[in-house]
Amino acid sequence: MFRHFRSSAAALALTLAGVLALAACSAPGKSSGGGSSASGPIKIAVVDAQSGQLSSLGDWEYKGAKLAADQWNQAGDINGRKLQLDVLDDQGDPTVGTNVARRIASGGYVAMLGTAESAVTIAMAPILQQAKIPNITSGQSPGLVALKSPFLFLNGPTSTTYDETLAKFVVDQKGLKKIAMLTNNGAFGKGEHDSFMKSLSSRSVTPVADKVVTADQKDFSAVLTAIRAAKPQLIFLGAEEVESGLIVKQARDLGITIPFAGAAPQGTPVFRDTAGVANIEGTYVSSPYLGNTISDAAKKFATDYKAAYGKDAELHGAKAYDGANILFTALKSSNLATGQALADAIRATKYNGLLGNFAYDGTGVGIFATSIGIIHNGQLTAANG
Amino acid sequence: MQDFLQTLVGGLSLGAIYALVAMGFSLVYRTMGLVNFAHADVVTIGAYVASTFYLSARLPFVAAMAVAIVVTGLIGVVIERVLRPLENKDFDLMLIGTIGFGIVLQAVAILLWGATGRAVPSPIRAAPLAVFGVHIRTYSLVVLAIGAAAVVLLGLFLQRTKRGAAMQAVAMDHEAAAAVGINVGRSNAVAFSIGAGLAALAGGLAGPLLYVNPTMGASLGIKGFAGAILGGFGSIPGAIVGGPAIGVLDAFAAGRFQGYSDLVTFLVFAVLIMIRPTGIFGERTVNRA
Repeated sequence: MFRHFRSSAAALALTLAGVLALAACSAPGKSSGGGSSASGPIKIAVVDAQSGQLSSLGDWEYKGAKLAADQWNQAGDINGRKLQLDVLDDQGDPTVGTNVARRIASGGYVAMLGTAESAVTIAMAPILQQAKIPNITSGQSPGLVALKSPFLFLNGPTSTTYDETLAKFVVDQKGLKKIAMLTNNGAFGKGEHDSFMKSLSSRSVTPVADKVVTADQKDFSAVLTAIRAAKPQLIFLGAEEVESGLIVKQARDLGITIPFAGAAPQGTPVFRDTAGVANIEGTYVSSPYLGNTISDAAKKFATDYKAAYGKDAELHGAKAYDGANILFTALKSSNLATGQALADAIRATKYNGLLGNFAYDGTGVGIFATSIGIIHNGQLTAANG
Repeated sequence: MQDFLQTLVGGLSLGAIYALVAMGFSLVYRTMGLVNFAHADVVTIGAYVASTFYLSARLPFVAAMAVAIVVTGLIGVVIERVLRPLENKDFDLMLIGTIGFGIVLQAVAILLWGATGRAVPSPIRAAPLAVFGVHIRTYSLVVLAIGAAAVVLLGLFLQRTKRGAAMQAVAMDHEAAAAVGINVGRSNAVAFSIGAGLAALAGGLAGPLLYVNPTMGASLGIKGFAGAILGGFGSIPGAIVGGPAIGVLDAFAAGRFQGYSDLVTFLVFAVLIMIRPTGIFGERTVNRA
């Protein structure tokens, strides 16, 4: 009786192995270019943190991308197929991100939009490169460019651009020489620190204070007291929205009245709400998207965004909107190519977007300029000159 | 000296929050022998409920906090009721049950309020006080005052009321307590509710200091937990000392070691625990299961 059991168990095992082998042979989601799946929606993965302190970035990115996808789907389809955006949660964690990258590689996705966190994007890049899946990211760390992946594209300028423009404004134009730096030790903060430091050094300016905090820190009394003692004229912030907001709030509570300066996070409503409108008055912001009224395209985008979601549009939604549009344009122009062909099509796409004119170079960066704005009454207005 | 004092003040503000979280941990552990891993997520729920009633319903801050405490108290009762069959029978499963509840609470927070989070303006409009050049946020003083009041009330409850005495009895020997007619299940439910209420107090008070989002409980929870252990897990006075100790340690580590502050804080914590495993007010671990 047992022998019978064992031989039928062996037969079952062999059958299972056979089924698995057959399934593996016809795995969905090709790794190399060539023919795309014949029908069904065009699957695009949107990857971001859906919870945690950075989840607002994910929320904005998805809204921007979805708006673009809905507009394209309404206007028609691409070769008879509709765009489908699937949201995947990377929890802001690079390790989870690599798992998500593997799911994307085997899930029939032709491209990925996201993530907004450079650290996670950098972790996912090698897997996506191997699977030949193009990725348009909202991250801005120079570390992304250093990867030299032919499948990685940025939907905005790098930290280098943001900070060079900012340094030019505060040092060359405003003549401020005593600057304190306060950045966090995450991928974004480190990128901001190194970029701004480089820009300052090229102008022979040494920061009077250079303090680093952890990304999760809640109390900044010690570093702010040290910065206050150095008597700077300006404090440069290199941390994400919520942390920057907490820093500003606590700085004002400590009697620090000098202005702050920063890049993308400083232009967001989350920064404004966390810090308090009165506390951010006079903050200098380097951003390629100063507001929803800078151009007719921006006004239309903001109106559509408000109609679709009931919320005000801002920089990250605009970046995602531009990135998504570039991807869809490339999909159309390349006749739904995948892999290397799609990457080449993205690189060849010239797009006039909300942030400016995109023209990708070999490093995956498509836009090389930002503007300077000053916050008045909680709103960003263009700086004069 | 001024920098030292300023850092101390900063550390104590958050330290008061950690103390409240630590008290919740210690109370439940003391009476039930259970580490409630859902505690951190109850802090999050408390913060969300308090801020919702404060911002949307425009209730006065104190009223919003009271509502939050009642709501989370009910959550505590529910958790205890669900886990009651496991009480005193399978300790490990009960522990895992609380972890599960924690995950559920975090998911509920995202379902109800979205993933993005919200900033809560401070209910105290007054400018910070400047004492000998040290700036003290008026709100921080309020937090310390409320924390102190909570400690006193809890102490009075445990020492002076019949219910509180019953809880102490259950903690010492639940079988003997049952033998003298104490309803152990109900006593544990009260313990859980009070623990949850303390979590809500911590979360609600932390809202204006920080930023309310679904994972805020995580970092507050881990430091509160460390504070409870440092003070002696299960000891209420220990929680009151351990919480601020962690807060102050964290603040000074941030000033001195900057980006490595977390590493230093927990390294020091690990060394202290190795020297004195039962914590400052160390009690022998409650013998359960």
